[in-house]
Amino acid sequence: MDTRAGGCHNHGVPRVFSSWARLARLAAAPIGLAVAVGALLIAAGPGMFTTYAGRSGLAAGLTVAAGLALVLAGLLASLTSRSGPAGDLAVIAGIVWFAPVWVGWQVGPPLVRSLGMLVAGLVFPLLFYLVLAFPGGRPPSAVTRALAWAVCLEAALVAVGLALFRDPYLDPSCWADCTDNVFLVRSLPALARAVTATDRWFTVAAAMTLLAVCAWRLLASRGRARAVLMPIALPAIVFAAAAGAHVIALSQMPLEDPGNPAFQLIFDVQNAAVILLAAGLAAYAVMTVAHRRGVARIVAGLGEAPAPGSVESALARALGDPELRVAYWLPDARRYADAQGRPVAEPAAAPGRLVTVLMQQHRRVAVVSHAAAFPELEREFGAAIRLGLENERLQAEILFQLGEVRASRARIVQAGDAERRRLERNLHDGAQQRMLALSYDIRLAHASAETESDDQARLLLEQALADLQAGLGELRELAHGIYPAILTEAGLGPALATLADSASIPVELDDAVQERYPELIETAAYFLVTEAIEDAAGRGAGYAAVAVSHQDGRLTVTIEDDGQDRSASMTGIADRVGALGGILTVEPTRLGVQIPCG
Amino acid sequence: MRVVVAEDIMLTREGIVRMLQDAGIDVVAQAEDAEALLREVRRTQPDVAVVDIRMPPTHTDEGLVAAQTIRADHPEIGVLVLSQYVEPGYAIRLIQDHPERVGYLLKERVFDIATVVDALRRIADGETVIDPTIVARLLGRRRRVDPLAGLTDREREVLGLVAEGMSNRAIAARLFVTERTVEAHVTQILLKLGLAESPDQHRRVLAVLTFLRA
Repeated sequence: MDTRAGGCHNHGVPRVFSSWARLARLAAAPIGLAVAVGALLIAAGPGMFTTYAGRSGLAAGLTVAAGLALVLAGLLASLTSRSGPAGDLAVIAGIVWFAPVWVGWQVGPPLVRSLGMLVAGLVFPLLFYLVLAFPGGRPPSAVTRALAWAVCLEAALVAVGLALFRDPYLDPSCWADCTDNVFLVRSLPALARAVTATDRWFTVAAAMTLLAVCAWRLLASRGRARAVLMPIALPAIVFAAAAGAHVIALSQMPLEDPGNPAFQLIFDVQNAAVILLAAGLAAYAVMTVAHRRGVARIVAGLGEAPAPGSVESALARALGDPELRVAYWLPDARRYADAQGRPVAEPAAAPGRLVTVLMQQHRRVAVVSHAAAFPELEREFGAAIRLGLENERLQAEILFQLGEVRASRARIVQAGDAERRRLERNLHDGAQQRMLALSYDIRLAHASAETESDDQARLLLEQALADLQAGLGELRELAHGIYPAILTEAGLGPALATLADSASIPVELDDAVQERYPELIETAAYFLVTEAIEDAAGRGAGYAAVAVSHQDGRLTVTIEDDGQDRSASMTGIADRVGALGGILTVEPTRLGVQIPCG
Repeated sequence: MRVVVAEDIMLTREGIVRMLQDAGIDVVAQAEDAEALLREVRRTQPDVAVVDIRMPPTHTDEGLVAAQTIRADHPEIGVLVLSQYVEPGYAIRLIQDHPERVGYLLKERVFDIATVVDALRRIADGETVIDPTIVARLLGRRRRVDPLAGLTDREREVLGLVAEGMSNRAIAARLFVTERTVEAHVTQILLKLGLAESPDQHRRVLAVLTFLRA
């Protein structure tokens, strides 16, 4: 399972480094601007034939726009995001973007041009890393991380290798960079050629990989995640395709003449792609801030006692992710529950969906299953939802325990009912049959006493038979009182009708109940009515009116009578109704229950 | 008379069979459950089936359901249901579709030979038999407005006997009056209760029971 953990107080960047980083970021904008202006000046004059920007106004405009867009988008991201170095990498890529122009400064100092040569090759790995890491701070899987690092490492090795061993003068295909290399240690033309050739094919492979990863991510994601990915992945695909095309064009035409229409086309496309990519990064940064504010505002607006599930719906609304789910960890029960306290399975990551564990003081509070569009959920939104989350977790825990207690009460009541039914059956199958057999024997004895004219025995046996019949009648009523068989067989309506037949006061039934309900509910309603009628009779009522209705998933039973006001609290009924999650309303001459029945 | 006896408890079943045989009744088959009962009824075509209401598997109303099946499939075969329950609802269900040749007696009368034999005779003759305890319960039911308030004591008595399924002649014999007197009482009772006079004596049992239950 891909889970991300983090502490609410730990945003990953040490304080000292953070202050240096802030200074560097402050300087980035003026540096970027200076580099861009310099590049424009070079392109207009000494670099007229060696740079694309010098060849056409379009290329010049695109170069400046692409480089500055990266710097600005990177600054925006690093100033707003709490997740990783992506923004800073974009700023660096933006400044490096102008390096090829500076290399083409024909009359420029060799040190500057050599530096340009050294760093020009870093744009590709930086953007490669940035795209793979999006939308988080670093590439999401081990494979993509390894890819990103491999590309960066290769670019660094190539840059250092060429700086140390390549003498541009000895390169037959040098064009813009036919100048001194101030870093040259020893000229090794064969090695330089080999490194250059290797680098080209490596770059083609890396570009195709980038293209494939972006395409696969787009295809694998859906909904919100895809919408977030699109503005980055699409330009990245174009950028990768252009990078590949550039290398292939070089293999056909070793001299990179900026005046060549094919090279120009590739250059323009690549610049346009980078502008769009930068725009996508900026848009994502803005959106993240908006989401964070949205979450904070909604959570702050929840008030002191929000309804269960408020944090989940606030997050889902703010992130535009209706499938977002929050599961709270209940340490005592060692399981997850939703905000209503209902047990849920541990959330698992799925294609396009991530699972983030939210911690507080090294304790697991909740797990959020959300769109992969927000991989840094904990860092971005943790602080905003912390209070609401802890409240909800406590609430979920209490609700869960309540549910457990309720379930156990229901089981107790159920066990009691099952015992009643068993008793009822045993009375019929056991005691009643024995008494019937006895009555048969007495009748036989009575018949023989009659034939023998034994009047004394006959009278005694008649008396015994009468007593036995009365006993059978009492046994029958006892069994019915313990559990009326008709309740199981025909349901609440018929059972209440029988109750009305033999009640000690008139019972008026509305004839609305013919439906069947779960056994537990029918039993509860039946015994509620029997107890209420006995109670009414005890208070001298002249009648009781029983109404049963089924509405909105609730069975409602009311018993009204005209007796004196009741003083008893009807705890027996309250326990039964409470066990079913129902509500009992006790008024002086009126009892009402509402039992949820699905 | 030929009867089939269905009762799942052996002790009781054997007692009933012996008692019926002592009374000169021909017990042609015995059954332990509803399925066997229906099979034996088809096979032996008795005059009356004596059926315990509680039989496997649920021990609630299997006998009642079997009785209704027999009445529907074999109109000439009567059914006497022996029941543990003072359930007017069950009695009404029993006579609802086929009101003749059926009886509902409480289990505790099973060894009261005179009552059982009388019930079997009446059923075989096409009459309806309802246990007096059930009728008494319905007549004794407490109501805010008593619909029987307008009846005289004698009319109440006649109403009870009508509800038990007795014919006018049997009522006359029981009350030591002429059949014509009983007829007059019945007409008067039905008029007072607002019930239509039915030429069919079985239908009037159902009408009266339903009226008393309402």
